[in-house]
Amino acid sequence: MKALLIMAHGSPRPEANDDIRRIADVLRARGTHAVVTIGYLDCNDPDIAAAVDECVAAGATEIAAVPYFLHSGKHMLRDLPEILEAAAVRHPGVKIAMGDYIGQEPQIAALLLDRVQAAMGRASSE
Amino acid sequence: MDAIILFSHGSVLCGAERNVMAVAQRMRESGAAPIVEVGFVNYTEPTFAAAVARCVEQMATRIVIAPYFLVAGKFVTRELPGEIAQARREHPSIEFAVAAVIGFHELLADAILSSAEGARPPAAHSATLREASAWCREDPKCPLYGSDVCRVKLRVAT
Repeated sequence: MKALLIMAHGSPRPEANDDIRRIADVLRARGTHAVVTIGYLDCNDPDIAAAVDECVAAGATEIAAVPYFLHSGKHMLRDLPEILEAAAVRHPGVKIAMGDYIGQEPQIAALLLDRVQAAMGRASSE
Repeated sequence: MDAIILFSHGSVLCGAERNVMAVAQRMRESGAAPIVEVGFVNYTEPTFAAAVARCVEQMATRIVIAPYFLVAGKFVTRELPGEIAQARREHPSIEFAVAAVIGFHELLADAILSSAEGARPPAAHSATLREASAWCREDPKCPLYGSDVCRVKLRVAT
């Protein structure tokens, strides 16, 4: 059974996570993965390790972990892989894989252009 | 003429800005605006002011700023308005507009699924950390500074 784990940075302002929770709801509705969950690197619960454990407890045999990050850096290249590798040791029968950070996905440029076009429309109508 | 400035934080990790440049290139190739520049808040160049100057040199009359930020935190709500106020003083004839942050958008779900499809062993990602040394700026704040792949260390060794 496939699980999708969104790895977010976390924030001392809990409302900063509202958007990511809405996106998780959209992904649940799409039904591509039996489990869709969010794990936070810092500040918020569950942390990523606990989120992996939740996926496994729900019956996941494959977990795709996606960094909800716009930039590469020490979190992306060191902290997240270490957390996932430690989780793989705890759950030897589960395949845990990690995707690129979302800033590398082509949809982000399209999204930004959508935001720009909305701003241009607002500016022109003023 | 319209210009877009992709407004981003910048990074201490050498070479990390290449991704923001790649996003800007994708936006450029879309043809949405004849000018697309990148301006960073911290660590990385060009600065926001330099990006504005580049747009003006290319005859921009309107600059739309696209914040490359997930949420509207202090960089977007405090630093950016200050930068724009300064740019308006320097370039009073240019019209400025600010687009919304990334926030919530259906395309984020597509980006996440696209990432999930390409998922690979976690260690494969940590291996790419060493690639940063190819763009070494010898910055003490870089997480690789002084490591065996940092240019400073390599120079001492040779």
